[in-house]
Amino acid sequence: MTDPRPHIVDDDEAIRDGLQWLFKTRNLASSTWPSAEVFLDAVQPDWQGCVVMDIRMDGMSGLQCFDALRARANTLPVVFITGHGDVPMAVSALKKGAFDFIEKPFNDGDLVEIVMRALEADRLERANVQEQAAVNERLASLTSREREVMHLILEGHYNKVIGDKLNISMRTVEVHRSKIFEKAGVRSAVELAQLLKSSGHSGGG
Amino acid sequence: MSHAQPAGSAAAPQWQLALPYVALALFLGLIGALVWLTRNHDIDTQRSTLINDVLWLEQNLRFLLDRNAAQLAQLAPELAEGTVSAATDGKLQRLLTTENGLNRIILLDATGTIHTARPPMREDHLIGETGRAVPAESVFRLASSMGRPVYGPAYEIAGGSHHFEVHVPAYAGGGLIGVMVGVYSLQDLIARELPWWFSERYRVSVIDADGRELAAKSRVAPLSNELFYTIAFDPPGHGLTLQITAYRGALRWTPILLAASIIALAAIILWSIWQLRRQLLRRHAAEQALRYETQFRKAMEDSLLTGLRARDLKGKITYVNPSFCQTVGFGADELIGQSPPMPYWDPDHLERTQAIHDLVLAGRGPREGVELQFRRKDGCRIDALIFEAPLIDAEGRHTGWMGSVLDITEQKRAREFTRQQEERLQATARLVTMGEMASTLAHELNQPLAAIASYNNGCLNRLAANEVDLVELHDIHEKIARQARRAGEIVRRVHAFVRRSEPKRELVDIAVILRDAIALMEADTRKRGMAVRLDIGERLPDIEADPLMIEQVVVNLVRNGMDAMRDNPRDRRTVTITTREQGGHYVIRVADQGEGITPDIARRLFEPFYTTKQEGMGMGLNICRSIAEAHHGRLRFETRPDGGTVFILSLPMEPA
Repeated sequence: MTDPRPHIVDDDEAIRDGLQWLFKTRNLASSTWPSAEVFLDAVQPDWQGCVVMDIRMDGMSGLQCFDALRARANTLPVVFITGHGDVPMAVSALKKGAFDFIEKPFNDGDLVEIVMRALEADRLERANVQEQAAVNERLASLTSREREVMHLILEGHYNKVIGDKLNISMRTVEVHRSKIFEKAGVRSAVELAQLLKSSGHSGGG
Repeated sequence: MSHAQPAGSAAAPQWQLALPYVALALFLGLIGALVWLTRNHDIDTQRSTLINDVLWLEQNLRFLLDRNAAQLAQLAPELAEGTVSAATDGKLQRLLTTENGLNRIILLDATGTIHTARPPMREDHLIGETGRAVPAESVFRLASSMGRPVYGPAYEIAGGSHHFEVHVPAYAGGGLIGVMVGVYSLQDLIARELPWWFSERYRVSVIDADGRELAAKSRVAPLSNELFYTIAFDPPGHGLTLQITAYRGALRWTPILLAASIIALAAIILWSIWQLRRQLLRRHAAEQALRYETQFRKAMEDSLLTGLRARDLKGKITYVNPSFCQTVGFGADELIGQSPPMPYWDPDHLERTQAIHDLVLAGRGPREGVELQFRRKDGCRIDALIFEAPLIDAEGRHTGWMGSVLDITEQKRAREFTRQQEERLQATARLVTMGEMASTLAHELNQPLAAIASYNNGCLNRLAANEVDLVELHDIHEKIARQARRAGEIVRRVHAFVRRSEPKRELVDIAVILRDAIALMEADTRKRGMAVRLDIGERLPDIEADPLMIEQVVVNLVRNGMDAMRDNPRDRRTVTITTREQGGHYVIRVADQGEGITPDIARRLFEPFYTTKQEGMGMGLNICRSIAEAHHGRLRFETRPDGGTVFILSLPMEPA
């Protein structure tokens, strides 16, 4: 179950079965869940893929389930299936961060496309998270003096100025600088700044 | 109410009230005086008659005595000579009849000696009770000396009667030959000499100087105390008097009756005045009560919040109370005497008002009251609830109509508001119910449809990829079939639900249903300034239909018609309903004067949930058509050449 796959949550057995068959014909393995409660009981943080969920179900509704997932910091993209009168509900779900919604009766081709995008989004998100973790790991290896020097570099100061500010020689600054570049795996101050920015660091420490 | 007497009322000043009594008292006093005067006059007359009679009597007596004396003087010479002729004797005899009162004649010679006496003297006579000499010498002497008749005093003789004498000296040849003495009996004189009528009326008595009664002619009858007269009896004189006393006359009934009747009349007058006064007082009290009552009624009418209006048989206003004036804004002086159309009638409802007015005058006004719109003087409209009742006067004649008018504008507005609220609420509820039903139905149907779509797409994917596994596909198609059946089941359920509202057939008169439907919408129609005209053609037989459903169709069509005329001018706001038989169908045409229906709209007109109205549901015409079809009839529409649309509902006359 840890491979990326759509998780189909719907209280209607025919819908679940039909969607599973549909995904299967597009070479997508999927899991089905007869209710929101059952799915929430089973779901693990490391599950990948996406959730395809009916917004209106007996028992816990799709929206409640979505809220519960987000409360657990689960970032699985959620695609809602809505009925005719549920559109406003779906729109509010979108505003909360749902991936998309599709109205019944739906064009199955569209649904598959959406699910594909959701799977891709999930994959990218996970890669992004992983990269972030790597950067953090690299930055964590900097000494405190190196971190000070890094901040001043990012602020755009010359070595001489940094030396004056930290009351160290320009030579020492250059050593720190090369050490920092080496640890961060970058070759210039510009690259360093981009790395920090893309991984969500504001440059502060 | 004031206690002061209203000016000009029946209460006159005190003196005027007393005047009749004063006049009456004066009248009675005068009548009394008159009676008294009459009586006095009567007594005076009686007295003067009495005096006349007495004088006449005295005259008579004197004449008799004088005549006797003269005859005595005449006869004396013959008697003296002693040769009495037959004639003289006859004269003597005549003198001695009781008519003349003489009962003896004596001739005395010159010396006073009795010469002759007729009838002859008797001893007893001479002696008499008086014991005096007869004839009296003194009288003889006086007569002979004076040479004229002298009367002697009265004297009593035996037997109690009184006599008196007259001595008449007789002369012959120049010398006294003697004295003729006539002896009169007082009693005889009076008794014989008086005529019958005199003695009938009066008692006559002779009284001497001492007041003794010497003779009297009387009968047994009471004497009057007042009517008497005394006169000197001279001759013979010597203190004799004649006393004449009237008998108390037979009661004189005439004046008594007169007085009595006057008194009786006066009593009657008094009594009747008393009665009159009582009557007057009673009447006054009744008037007072009536006035109080009238004022009380008036106060009641004035303080009443219900308007009152009386009309005569021709419809002219004869009375209005202040509340009515307040309601319609016209003053009483502007209303009383007005004939229809009244100034407060609403010009927009003139025909209907006039119709109701005529109906009331014809005595067929609705008992349960009628609602009308009036227009106040200031132009604003009021709703009035009017009850009419015949006005019957005190004699039981029907003189007009009394209407009580209630201003129900506020109530009506409130009622209308409530009704609108309810209608809105119901419409909302209906909408919600319909929405929910539609939503549930959509969801229910969507489930199998979505599943079918998924299966189908999967199959297509397999075909596209050329990966056909027959077992797998068979399995999938069985699933598709199952979902299709599921969808069919849902549809069947809906159908069963709809069938529960199948029409209930009964024989109905469509005309009645149309009237009911129009009545149902009347308030709404009026509020919107619309009119519904019903034109029932010939009387058609009853048909089998569900009256409620047909009514619903008519109401729906008329409402649609009125909606279409919403922006029309006042004279183009009539929905006309006509009925007629056409090819075995009962055809009801509902025509409006609206804009008509564009071909665009016409195409979708009967589609469910299609509407051109803001608050519409888009189910009205759909339902109408369903009802028409349920009755094996048709609902269609045409555009009228002069603008507007006509919806045509045709129902078969014979059950299919």
